[in-house]
Amino acid sequence: MNLEKVVFGFFVVLAATLNFGFFIGDISDPDLHNPYELFAAVVVNLVATVLKFGDRTQIGAVHLATSLVADLQLIGATLLFGYATHVSSAGMDESWTASVVSLSGGALLANVVSVVLLVVETVSFHRD
Amino acid sequence: MRDLVKQLLGRPDDDRRVRRATFRVARASAAQASATIFLILRRMRAPLIVLITIFAVGVLGLTLIPGQDADGGPLRLSFFDAFYVMSYTATTIGFGEIPVPFTYSQRMWVTVSIYLSVVGWAYAIGSLLALLQDRSFRSALALQHFSRKVSRLREPFLLIAGHGRTGELVGRSFDRLGRRCVVLDLDQERIDRLELGSYVSDVPGLAADARDAGHLAVAGLGHPCCEAVVALTNDEEANLTIVMAAALLRPELPVIARVTSRTIAERMQAFGSPSTVNAFDRFGDHLRLALRAPAAYQLKTWLESGPGAELPERGAPPATGRWVVFGYGRLGRELVTDLRAEGLEVTVVEVRPTDADGADVLVGDGSDPWVLAQADLDRAVGVVAGTDNDTTNLSLVAAARRSNPTVFVAVRQNRPANAPLFAAMEIDALLVPTEVVAHEVYAQLSTPLLWRFLREMPGLGEEWAERMVHRLTEVCGTRLQTLWKVRLTAREAPALGTWLVSGGATLGALLRSPEDRDEALHAVALVVLRQGIATLAPDEDFALRPGDEILFAGRAATRRALSTTLVVHGALEYVLTGRRVPSSWAWRKLSQNRRPSPDAAAGGSS
Repeated sequence: MNLEKVVFGFFVVLAATLNFGFFIGDISDPDLHNPYELFAAVVVNLVATVLKFGDRTQIGAVHLATSLVADLQLIGATLLFGYATHVSSAGMDESWTASVVSLSGGALLANVVSVVLLVVETVSFHRD
Repeated sequence: MRDLVKQLLGRPDDDRRVRRATFRVARASAAQASATIFLILRRMRAPLIVLITIFAVGVLGLTLIPGQDADGGPLRLSFFDAFYVMSYTATTIGFGEIPVPFTYSQRMWVTVSIYLSVVGWAYAIGSLLALLQDRSFRSALALQHFSRKVSRLREPFLLIAGHGRTGELVGRSFDRLGRRCVVLDLDQERIDRLELGSYVSDVPGLAADARDAGHLAVAGLGHPCCEAVVALTNDEEANLTIVMAAALLRPELPVIARVTSRTIAERMQAFGSPSTVNAFDRFGDHLRLALRAPAAYQLKTWLESGPGAELPERGAPPATGRWVVFGYGRLGRELVTDLRAEGLEVTVVEVRPTDADGADVLVGDGSDPWVLAQADLDRAVGVVAGTDNDTTNLSLVAAARRSNPTVFVAVRQNRPANAPLFAAMEIDALLVPTEVVAHEVYAQLSTPLLWRFLREMPGLGEEWAERMVHRLTEVCGTRLQTLWKVRLTAREAPALGTWLVSGGATLGALLRSPEDRDEALHAVALVVLRQGIATLAPDEDFALRPGDEILFAGRAATRRALSTTLVVHGALEYVLTGRRVPSSWAWRKLSQNRRPSPDAAAGGSS
């Protein structure tokens, strides 16, 4: 067992699960989407991205790319969230909630790709 | 016939293979550089993760700890507020407590996060700075920077391996000609000197081992604009490796290498036909030429020194008599062979007992007065001080001059720092190995026609050389002016087309001023090359043909005047016939219409 692989897999999967947890629920209902979960998803995604730095293989490059996409979408979601709560006069209404959650949904897709890559990598490793 | 076709068809294939091989080598080297960048990224992982974690913990804590608004009601910081507070706190900017004054529990948490985040930042920035100082990282950056510069070169350049004294001389003289070079050297200090030195153009340099084919490839060995490779390192083996790499990866490139031993020179000859320069051997040849034909020697050294050089004095070395050679090392050996080949008597003075091929050998230290007395200096006509110690050489010259003031002295100078001392001694023939090699490389690469001229010139005799020196001083004065090449092709001399084909085109007719045809142009044609056959110093009646290559010496103004004649139809017409022909399209049309009347044409030309 390789500790580095454990940590790497842990963060990649945790990023995906947190993201999923925030995303699930009625897309326009702000009560179903906990901002703390979004915060945790952003932090774990950033850590996962840094863990992917410096891998020279092809699969490593795709890993990094998916993580960067997820970061971009999640940070976009938090920016929208901050704008809705502090600047917009409407507050966190249905349409704002829907925008934030749909952005996090995009990030979820990227995270799913990341997890699939992880699984593919593991399976092909065992076949060798 | 079939063989010929196969050869012709085979060539491009070979070229492609060679080009591919070079690219492969270059890619490997570039990948090495990017590997270092990846390593750096890996090493930044830990500091970045620590920073992210500290930030996340601080922000999360601030949002969870309850605060109070201005009226004492409960208020929690939003994520945005918490992130804002953490950002300015962690970076030690410290705007205060925003949006409302904190409660004590919040202040306690902020205190903890201040210490945590400062440590995190210090760690991250410290690691980043340490990485920037890292040697391997810096050299990887330098390699990338260098390879980018080289691959962007769009004009012919010279690849110089070894930027010592010789390399610098070669680089400088080529720079003065407006040619580009790329430099490889082991020593970082010498590469730094490139930037301090006053080169006109930007000279890309890399501190790397030129024995590595990858470094040579990055330095432009596979570049289509690379015109020649010069191996001038101090290490014989390294020079051999460079010649090998160049011959195997780019067989069509000219290669010049410095050698000091004959074995290495022969091993180099096994790879294509590189040109090898042995400073001692060349000095021996020069000395022989100086003994046999002082004027030819004078002409040769003058032309080899490049534009701006003063006419060297014509020496008068003794053609008969006995020579004393101090030191029987690599130089001594060459000189003794050359002097004896000229039929001169030679006495060798050497510390170690040696066999000098039948010459008289006197075993002893040359600086010992007793040995000097034995050498019988007052009856010698020439002295060679050829040891590898400058102090010994200088004192030998002084001793020889004391016993015989008229003796001809040839001395080897080893260290450039001693140049003023040797200059003060007014040596008859001074050998500076680095300069001999540099001049030779310059003569071979600057203009191949000059090289041709210098090689064939000694065969034409002393009187001819004297006349040539006289003609050159008439045109240039005592300072050598520009040397330039003219190719009589449709591209470089479009105006000459029909005149050349007519067969009556003579050199004298061409060398007339386009301003006033009664005045001859002040230029000397040194050599004309036609289909591989060189004619040295052609006279005025020499008939020119299309495709001839001519090397001229003269002033820059003359060069401009001649190029006007070569390019402008009207100027050539005037130079040949004295008729002024209008050069603009409208005037030409008008004069064509008036052409039928000869009076009008005469009127137009006056």
